[in-house]
Amino acid sequence: MEEYPEELRTPPVALTCVVGCPEVHGLITAHLHSQQPPINTIALPDFSKISVIPPKKPPRENSEHVGGILKRDWLSKHRTRIPAVVAALFSSSNVSGDPAQWLQVCTDLENLKATIRGRNIKLVVVVVSQAGHKDDMSEDRMIALRKRAEVDSKYLIVFVPDEHMELKQSLSRHGPRLCTAFADLASTYYRDEGRRVKVRLEKKSFSSMELNVRYCFKVAVYAEFRRDWPEALKLYEDAYHALREMVGTSTRMPPIQRLVEIKTIAEQLHFKMSTLLLHGGKVVEAIAWFRQHTANYRKLLGAPEVIFLHWEWLSRQYLVFAQLLETSSANGLQFPSMASVPADKPTEWEFHPAYYYQAITSYLKEKNICLELALSMSEDVGPIDGSAESVVASVYHGQFARLLEREDTYIMQSLTDDEYVRYTLVEGKRFLDSFEIIALLKRSFEAYNNLKAERAAAYCGFQMAREYFSLSEFSNAKQIFDNIASLYRREGWLLSLWELLGYLRECSRGTGSVKDFIEYSLEMAAMPETTNAVELSSKYCGPAGPATLSQRAKIHKEAFEVARGGSELTLKEQNSHLKVNSDYPLYLEIDLVSPLRVVLLSLVAFHQPTVKPGALSLLTISLRTQLPTNVEIDQLEVQFNQSECNFIIVNDQKPHIAAISNVQPGRRVETAPTLVLATNKWLRLTYEIKSDQSGKLECIYVIARIGPHFTICCRAESPASMSDLPLWKFENLLETIPTVDPGLAFSGQKAIQVEEPDPQVDLNLGSSGPALVGESFILPVTVASKGHAVYSGELKINLVDTRGGGLLSPREDEPFSADNLHVELVDISCHVPEDQSEAPSDNIQKIQPSFGLISVPSLDVGDSWSCKLKIKWNRPKPIMLYVSLGYYPQNGEPSSQKVHVHKSLQIEGKTAVTISHRYMLPFRKDPLLLSKIKSVPEPDQIPSLALNELNMLLISVKNCSEVPLRLLSMSIEMEENKGSCNVQPQHVFGEPVVHVPGEEFKKVFTIVPSVNCTKLKIGTVSLRWQRDSGVREQFHSCDTESQFMKHRLPDVNIELPPLVVSMECPPHAILGNPFIYSIKIYNHTELLQEIKFSISDSQSFVSSGPHSDTIFVLPSSAHVLSYMLVPLGSGSLQLPRVTVTSVRYAAGLQPSNTSSIIFVYPSKPHFEASDT
Amino acid sequence: MANTACFMIVSKNDIPIYEAEVGTVPKKEDAAHQHQFILHAALDIVQDMAWTTSAMFLKAIDRFNDLVVSVYIKVIHTRLMLLHDSRNDDGIKSFFQEVHELYIKTLLNPLYLPGSRITSSHFDTKVRALARKYL
Repeated sequence: MEEYPEELRTPPVALTCVVGCPEVHGLITAHLHSQQPPINTIALPDFSKISVIPPKKPPRENSEHVGGILKRDWLSKHRTRIPAVVAALFSSSNVSGDPAQWLQVCTDLENLKATIRGRNIKLVVVVVSQAGHKDDMSEDRMIALRKRAEVDSKYLIVFVPDEHMELKQSLSRHGPRLCTAFADLASTYYRDEGRRVKVRLEKKSFSSMELNVRYCFKVAVYAEFRRDWPEALKLYEDAYHALREMVGTSTRMPPIQRLVEIKTIAEQLHFKMSTLLLHGGKVVEAIAWFRQHTANYRKLLGAPEVIFLHWEWLSRQYLVFAQLLETSSANGLQFPSMASVPADKPTEWEFHPAYYYQAITSYLKEKNICLELALSMSEDVGPIDGSAESVVASVYHGQFARLLEREDTYIMQSLTDDEYVRYTLVEGKRFLDSFEIIALLKRSFEAYNNLKAERAAAYCGFQMAREYFSLSEFSNAKQIFDNIASLYRREGWLLSLWELLGYLRECSRGTGSVKDFIEYSLEMAAMPETTNAVELSSKYCGPAGPATLSQRAKIHKEAFEVARGGSELTLKEQNSHLKVNSDYPLYLEIDLVSPLRVVLLSLVAFHQPTVKPGALSLLTISLRTQLPTNVEIDQLEVQFNQSECNFIIVNDQKPHIAAISNVQPGRRVETAPTLVLATNKWLRLTYEIKSDQSGKLECIYVIARIGPHFTICCRAESPASMSDLPLWKFENLLETIPTVDPGLAFSGQKAIQVEEPDPQVDLNLGSSGPALVGESFILPVTVASKGHAVYSGELKINLVDTRGGGLLSPREDEPFSADNLHVELVDISCHVPEDQSEAPSDNIQKIQPSFGLISVPSLDVGDSWSCKLKIKWNRPKPIMLYVSLGYYPQNGEPSSQKVHVHKSLQIEGKTAVTISHRYMLPFRKDPLLLSKIKSVPEPDQIPSLALNELNMLLISVKNCSEVPLRLLSMSIEMEENKGSCNVQPQHVFGEPVVHVPGEEFKKVFTIVPSVNCTKLKIGTVSLRWQRDSGVREQFHSCDTESQFMKHRLPDVNIELPPLVVSMECPPHAILGNPFIYSIKIYNHTELLQEIKFSISDSQSFVSSGPHSDTIFVLPSSAHVLSYMLVPLGSGSLQLPRVTVTSVRYAAGLQPSNTSSIIFVYPSKPHFEASDT
Repeated sequence: MANTACFMIVSKNDIPIYEAEVGTVPKKEDAAHQHQFILHAALDIVQDMAWTTSAMFLKAIDRFNDLVVSVYIKVIHTRLMLLHDSRNDDGIKSFFQEVHELYIKTLLNPLYLPGSRITSSHFDTKVRALARKYL
């Protein structure tokens, strides 16, 4: 666009002229220029300079030859030299001065009128007055002046620019008038001129097509002067159409130059139209016009030798339009939304300059091709003759002529087509377009990238890189190709990728990189086949050739020949080669994201997840390639994170090549019968592997060596986590599993866990049955070394609730205290051998309620060490005890592995004994307790005891545990008001009572209450016991403590019995011998008690005495009923039942059956005292 | 019959799953092996427009000199793309519709994995016959 002249690029501005009175020119021109729309001014200091306005040409003859379409200087002439309005400025002193001055004014005016009359230029007369002399002007002179000038009175203006301070005032007063006058007249002038030319158009009074175009153009320009844009646009369009008709019809000039001229004018007209449309915001129309414009002329190639001119012209159209679009979009042009545009709408890209920049390049390339062709065809262009240099642009647009120097003058001589062609070829040779193409593409590339259109940008990038490639700038080309190749790889556009890789392969030849060459070659060779693609002959393909299987095989072969060192890589530079040898070894690395994964994919799977140290485990290595032909590997090296496990597999077929040169001594070497990789077939190798070091053993690399200097280092992958090959994912490919075992193919891992060495130390937890609540349970722990010495040993103890959860009571949010603990680790005690004086700092000992840590002293093989854990149960609860020993089998070796031994034991915590009690009345004595007479016994009734009577308390202790216990003492501790009752005896067992499991141990106490109260607290039974270990073991002797077990007795009700019935009879009787059986009734009340009694007959006895009667017992006295009984049988016999009934209390007193049994001997027994 | 036409089916993850040069063998070598590039570049516009219009047939969404790209977007976002230089809109539309039907039949094949390359020669023959018929 910059190459267009200024007058074409900017809209025309009306032109005026001021003559005379130069002192006010600056003021007036500045003021006019600042108007909206602005008016340009030519300032002529005096009237003699008026001749700069070119005089009117004589009118055209109809027969006159038309030299061209548009004169080159016509537009600039009208914009800079021919004013629309001339203002004659006269000073007021001259106008109203003496006759000589007046005469001068008149003369000047006449001259001026004569000059401008031919051109129909408008005239304004301005009288410049001084401020103080404004009123001096005579009215007559003014009228005379107006008449002479033949102007309307409003175009005779008095202008008072006088004082500086009045300047603005004067302008603001006269300015509008002045400006209006100028603008009106200019508009009139341009309208008149336009109309004059338009009349010719309408009358069709032109002799040739050229004039038609020229007239249309002129009218359009005049319309532009008036800012009548629609009119201008319409006439430009007319001109454009008229011009289009000229193609093929005009015969005026030689054909080549004629077409060039037409295209040049078409370009200008189109430029004008595009500018007008874009400035009017009609983007869609402008694009449609542009499309039509290029379509119109695209096919007009012209003569074969100058086709390059056509492409140059076409590319210029795109460039100019792109620049116009860019400048107008920079002004905040709003693109219309795609939805509202009509049917044949522009595509989205056509609103962006980037689209045009990209399009230019293809035309520029065409141009280059044609130019080279034309140059090669015209051999005689070579020596540049002087005639070419003297060719200049002619007076008409788009024409060239030879400038001949003839006797001080220059004559324009028109050229023949041959001469013109030669001239253009010489000119064309001077420009190199490749850099321009790259610059344009780069611009387009960046623009697309900014629009986030990476695919469109990639295409631009491809073209750009190809241009660099053609310029042999390989590093630039490679960089761009590499960038965009990743996009095509990702989206799997195989043909495009193939094309790119072909270029990249050639670039690597240019940069001299064998590694790149091999990489790109292998990637190409391993690409999937593109079906359905046309078989283009190699001429139409890029450097890669057609994407066929045969081509892939060819590339594969070539790459391996170079890689094996069999052949040299020919570089782009002349006569230079590169060869893979010991100086230039080749090393490729393939990782998980490398595109070369298709070339060699290595999966490594261990058959087991874990292995013992030193034990053998199986390892399968699976290799696969997608290369089209077989690849033979000479040597495979498998590398692990534990480098001592690395091993090498040698191809048995090629022992001479596989002379292992770079193998460290002692390295394991395996031999495989063959190591050939076929396309898409797994090569599976299974070996045993052994690791002595515990931890993770992971395969890192599988390294394939092919030939003496070619290495492919392939990162090992696990079959379980293998990702698909990117390009092959959607191909119809025979899917095979990498390992023979399908399970391994889905779960195989490239790493194996090598376990710790087996501990050779025994950890024994001595258990002595269940623990008993309350006692400090002693648990011996023994560490005995069998095969390992123990260094830096640590013993960890954990107590865990078997049902999960802590050892605390359910209310765990309570503050931590020993009361809440059901089970706690109290202490760890251990023997420190006398001879080993450990530093105290080594003896770590840490004890918490559920955790303990203690350090184990160093032990030699065969030694043992023990400690005792003291655990206390507060409640019955089963727990798990975990004890773990960690140690180092060697001393001071940091690399050695720590060995752990774990043991666990479940321990029940049990209650040792249960205590129960029972109150009983004395034998054969029944106090009448009134509270017992109640008809319905209540369940929670507290037991009642008779006051001042001997009551029995039976305490029974049951051993619930599984071990014998030893009871030491049992007593009842009174709680309060001593003397309220008397309890006998306090038992302390002189010899401890051994209490075996399940046995019930009973003890009888007597209670004589001496206080009559309803709730008497008797006290607490206190039992002292200890575990009975039978044989007194050594460590039990000191540690087994006696435990107290307490049982609180419930409260009792003490009451005074009103009557007490006691029964008396001898302990035994003898058959036939009479004995006395008496029943004594005590009355403790102050009342006379009426008692009914009766005795039932018994078959076993003959009785004498009252059978039944009613007696009265006096207050505080006793009454005795006596019977004489003679037993008739022997054995345990039931005495006759005596029923005593108190009438007052309506209560019967009947002794229990057990108390009324007597044993009767058949004869008097003889008891002999023995000495045992 | 058009001078040049390149037909492609692009899966929803932007991978070409079928391609065919239909029409006469291209004359201008520069453009011939760039058809893939051009269609690939046009995906950018297709991507934008697919979300702004409900029409399936988008004609002339991109131009490259005198070659035009037309696209038929399926519901599952598979795109049928045609690079052509003919102006026969109705023919192109019919072509797309028929190929669409063919493609659906291919999808119904239980052995065909959706999104993978269509290698059926039957499909290929049918597409080429349709191209001869409509383009």
